[in-house]
Formats: sequence, structure tokens, C-alpha cells
Amino acid sequence: MSSRSPPRDISIRSLQQGWLGRFQAMGSPCELLCESRTRSAARQLTNLVAAEAWRVEDKFSRYLSGNVIDRINSAQGEPVLVDDETANLLDFADTLYELSNASFDITSGVMRQVWNFDGSDTLPSQEQVSRVLARVGWRKGRWVRPTLRLPADMEIDLGGLGKEYAVDSAVLILRGHTDTPCLVNFGGDLAVTGPPQQRAAWSVGVEGVAEGRADRMIELRAGALATSGDARRFLLKEGNRYSHILDPRTGWPVADAPNSVTVAADTCTQAGMISTLAMLRGADAEIFLDDQAEQYWCRR
Amino acid sequence: MAVVAIEMARTRKNEQFISVALATATCTLLGSGLPTPVDAQEEPSWNINTAAFYYGEDGGRVQDFSIKAIAERMFVDDRVLTLGLAIDALTGATPSGAIRLDVPQTLTQPSGNATKTVPAGEYPLDDTFRDIRVALTVNWQQPFGDTNLFNVGASLSKEYDYLHVGLNAKVARNFNKRNTTLSAGIAIARDQIDPEGGIPTPFSSMLDVGDLSNRLGTDSKDILDVVVGVSQVVSRNLVVQANYSYSYSDGYLNDPYRILSIGDSVSGDTIPRTPPPGVEGPSHEYIFESRPVERTKHSFYTQAKYYMNGKVLDASYRYMTDDWNIDSHTVNLRYRWPLGASKFLEPHLRLYSQNEAEFYRLSLVDGAALPAHASTDYRLGNFDAITLGAKYGWKTRSDNDMSIRVEWYQQSGSVPANLIIGNQAGRNNYPDLNALIVQFSYRFSR
Repeated sequence: MSSRSPPRDISIRSLQQGWLGRFQAMGSPCELLCESRTRSAARQLTNLVAAEAWRVEDKFSRYLSGNVIDRINSAQGEPVLVDDETANLLDFADTLYELSNASFDITSGVMRQVWNFDGSDTLPSQEQVSRVLARVGWRKGRWVRPTLRLPADMEIDLGGLGKEYAVDSAVLILRGHTDTPCLVNFGGDLAVTGPPQQRAAWSVGVEGVAEGRADRMIELRAGALATSGDARRFLLKEGNRYSHILDPRTGWPVADAPNSVTVAADTCTQAGMISTLAMLRGADAEIFLDDQAEQYWCRR
Repeated sequence: MAVVAIEMARTRKNEQFISVALATATCTLLGSGLPTPVDAQEEPSWNINTAAFYYGEDGGRVQDFSIKAIAERMFVDDRVLTLGLAIDALTGATPSGAIRLDVPQTLTQPSGNATKTVPAGEYPLDDTFRDIRVALTVNWQQPFGDTNLFNVGASLSKEYDYLHVGLNAKVARNFNKRNTTLSAGIAIARDQIDPEGGIPTPFSSMLDVGDLSNRLGTDSKDILDVVVGVSQVVSRNLVVQANYSYSYSDGYLNDPYRILSIGDSVSGDTIPRTPPPGVEGPSHEYIFESRPVERTKHSFYTQAKYYMNGKVLDASYRYMTDDWNIDSHTVNLRYRWPLGASKFLEPHLRLYSQNEAEFYRLSLVDGAALPAHASTDYRLGNFDAITLGAKYGWKTRSDNDMSIRVEWYQQSGSVPANLIIGNQAGRNNYPDLNALIVQFSYRFSR
């Protein structure tokens, strides 16, 4: 395990209705809300959910050495044979690459080497951007399930979909274990196993532009919600706000992206991908969202 | 199917099929069956309660038309902002405090610049009473931890001769798996009284028109209220509550418009007087009331709510005692009776009884030493009251709540025999009161 990982423990506290289990995973605060009768039942469910979150983190985090992502990223151009779950995720990433006209690209993580979204005014030069952009492009690699061959200087990063995938995966595990209504929330991306019993709906606060302040409440009875946004990560230069949403085709931040897009969908993965694709459309985010079947809340 | 959808998404400029293709791809990724369809909607952020209210006393006495609005903004974690606005239009007459006589009586109006003559046998009423009151309230509720709820609020109300400013705070704490709640609250207020013509000196005589020599200008009172309470969930059906409240008022507690007749020690009839020639003034001797400058009240309140298959019985009792020697008892009963899924009928019965304040008088006696304090205010007298009515509520087609409440209020009192002198015995000395209350309410969200 990497030294940057926070301690792996869970805490349980009682709420007005039910229980709240909390832990840290994938760099985010994670929560399980459940309507169990007892604290010990809530603890058991939280342990299940946390175990799945930590499993996904360990397996797919690009920060950890020895996992499948590390093997791919350090293969130096050699083909890497991957397991079924990784293959499913790579298939999915491949589909998204197609659907997004190459704007969703799991090889784009290296662009962070020149873009540091810390609220400062430090912009990279076009030369720096071009240099790193040469190492971006899913099609430069060769994915033939179950083998991925990536050029030596390229990397993949599943951070753009890992959290949403982990939420859905945890929900499936919970459904297999209990009928107790639960809500799984990993850093603001969330899904429910079903409607709560003690009230009409799960009440979910969506964080607005101001950090930590929910200014919109959504009642969720089934399905999932995911939010993409740059409330906290951006660059400011000469009055221009550069969102942390980078376009892998240009190497530059997407212009005029909304501050945040929240999408409701059947699964957290769908909600997360629709909101991410909408952010990547920048000024046209709402046009894109209007064409989709999903409900959305867009903030500029 | 995924491939087909992707092709369609790529070829269709409007990208309508991306979410379809994504749904299919997600299904494959998660290796699950079809997920439950999403069911999400944005919560309304404001709950707004509006009401139009009418209170009307018979015999041309007080009429109050008011509109009220309470807007409630819910935030996550049970934080709630509540804003209230009420506008009242008051008209009508209130008893001035003078007794009835078998002859006409002329009284100087509270403003001090006109007189009014009351026919023989009638209650001298003060009908100059006409006012608009605007009241604003703001409250913030904030949970602390999982078991503590904190409330702070402020209130402001203004009418022609009155300004009220108040602050309040309350804390509640849950115990025992939320079955027990302890609460404590405090409120402070300052009321500024600035009556037409100025406040009359207590126990000063009603003067002729134009003579304001007994007027003091403005005055104020401070009020402190403290309440501590406990509520307990006894069973699935029964919730009980008890609280004690302490209220202390300090300052100007008089009604600046209320007078007492000075009666003959034998006949009880008010002593006549004649204003100087060419001057309008009172036909009899009257003096302005005088109450103590402090009042301490203690109230004990208990309430039980009993839930039976959607029906709710709400019963409460309050006992109040104060250092003006008033004891009062209030019983309140409400029964909520559902009529189908979206309508209800709620009958209401309230019974009230109090004895008179130690300084309550029907009149004062000519030539006798003045008591320390005296007031004829019928609200400080010995009386019983009953409120009987019902509320009918229903859901509108847009799922908002509407209700209409109609109630009838009757107050009847009596003056203790030892306060009645001579001819006063043959008259009805306590101004009985009947009132109609109608309220229409509408609650919606936006």
C-alpha cells in the first residue's frame, strides 16, 4: 500500500433516520446511508461497501505500484494481458472514446504533468502542452481484448470512471446481501439500492459553487446521481477561468465549461459519464444534455 | 446492439443516442441485469404558507383582517430558514373601562382633542381604535451533531402607537434513541408604546379637550421569557410533552387608553362634572388606570398526541399563575379525522377560565383613598371562554394543501360582588364578547 493512503477504518453514527457509515477511499470521503435496525448491521454493510471501494482503489489506482494499471503503465511498449474486470473497464473506456469523438480518453492523465489546477495563474506554454500531447491518444495503443499494448511513454488512468464504477459495484453487492434500503456515496457520486422505507425519498444535497454548501436538494427514490464540476479545481489568469476539464485533442482546458453538471441516471456510471461528456462539450454542455434522456442540473 | 447504437450516435449529429449506447455499455460493464429506472426530482426549496384571517367581535367591537405568509427554506442537514410576514388591519371599538350609566356620558377621546357622547345605558366604548400592524419574523434552525437542534430568531412588529422588537433562541437535545427531547428556550423583547397624545399619567383624571398636562410621552416595557420542556415518545401511538415557562415583564404595563369611573360611595353612579364654559370635556369623573410595573407569570403545560390509523387526538392543558393573582386554566382538544386520502376534518374545542387580578375594579369610589393599582380591563377580570369550531383541509390537484377554519369564540364574565356598589348591581357590568374566526390557508412549494 502506498504511504499516501489514509487509514482504512470506518466510523458509524446514528442519524435522524438510520445510520451513516463513513470511510475514506479513492481520495474522497465515502458514505453509506442505511436504514438498518442496529448499529452492528450498519457496520456490517459499511464494511462490505468499504471493502469494495478499497478493492477497486487498490486494483485500479494509478498511484499504487504492482496493480494492473501499474503493470500497463510500466510495460514499456510490451503487451499486457489483463483480467476480465479490467478488460470490461477497457472495453467501456473504448466505447466512451468512440461516443465522445475522442474527448474522453483514459490516456489523457499525463496532461496533468503540465497542468496544475491549484487556483493559481500558472499556465503552461504551448510547447509544453504539445510535448505532453504527443503522449496522449487511446488509438495510439492497441486494445484487443484481453491484451493492451501501449506505447512506452504513455499511461492510462481510470480515475475518470473508477469512482462511479465502484459505487455501482457496491450497490450490486449490497443488493445481494440485504433488503435494507441503502445509499452509497463516494465523493458526491452516489446511487441507491431502492427507495427508503422511513420516508418518501433519499434527500441528496448537491454542492454548488461555494465549497461544502449544498444549495440544491434532489429527492432520489431509485437510480443514481453524479456531479462533474470545477468548483474547487481551476486556474485563473487575466480574469479567465480555466476549468480542470482538459480536452485531450488540444491539450488545453475546455472553454466555457459549466461550473458543475449533475446528472440523474439508472446507474452511477451512466450519470457520471453523461456529466463528464457534458463538461467536455464546454459552452454546448446544455445542448448536449438536452439531447440525452437523462435529467440534469447544470450550473454556470 | 451496442455497436449499432454507437454507429447511430456517431452518424446522428444531435447525439441523441449517446445515452442509449452508454446504458448498454454500462450493462455490459457491470455484468448486471437491467438496473432499476432512475426516479429523481428536485426538491422544492421553499415551502410557503399563506393565510387570510378574519376575527370579528359582535356589537361593532374589534375586527381584525389579516394576511400572513410564512416562507420556509430547507437546506441539507435540517438547516431551515423561516421568514414570516403578517399584516393586520384592526378596526372597531374596545370598552374604555368606564361603567354604564342611566344617563348619557361624554368622554374625551384618547387623542385629547375631541369628545364623544355615549347614550344612556350603553357601554362607553373607545372607537378611535384603527390600526395597521406589520410584523416580521426570521428564524434559523441549525443542528449541532446528530442530537442537538439550535434555533435563533428575531421579531419586529410595528403599529401606529407600538413598536415591538424581540430576539429568541432555543436549543433541543434528543436522548434515548430520539424518544426523548429536552428543550430550553429564551426570548427577550422590548415594546415601545407611543400613544396618540402621549401616555397619560397613571391615576390622573381624564381632562378637558386640549389639556395635555397629564401626558408623559412614550414609555416601554421589557419582557423576558424562559421555557424548558420535555417531550417523550411513549409508544408508536402516543407522544407526550410537558413544559414550564416563566415570563417576566418590566416597565409600562398599562393600557394607555383605559379609564375607571369614579363612583359615588352609595349609589355607585359616576360623579358628574361640568367642564368650564366654552370648553368641551368629560361629563363625569374618570381617571386613567394604573397597573404594577412588573408582572411575573409561571405556566405549566402538558400535551398528549394520540395517533390512531391516521386519526390524531391532540389534547393539552395549561395552568398559568402570576403575581397579579390571576390563575387561569386552558384545555384544548383537537381531533383530526381523515376523510379519504386527501381530506380531513378537525373539530376544535377550547375551554378557558380565569379569575380576576387583585387590582381589578369595576370602578373607584369617590372620596376613598386610591388603591395602589386599579384597572377595569375585562381581560384582567373573572371570565370563562369557549372556542368551538372546525378546520376542513384538502389537497389541491397540484398537491398543495388548502384549509378553511371556522370558529366561534364566546367570552362571558362576572364582576365579584364585593366590587359592585349601589345601582351598579342592577346592570350587566362585564362586557360579554362573541367573535367569529375564519381562516383560509394555502400551502405550496416552489
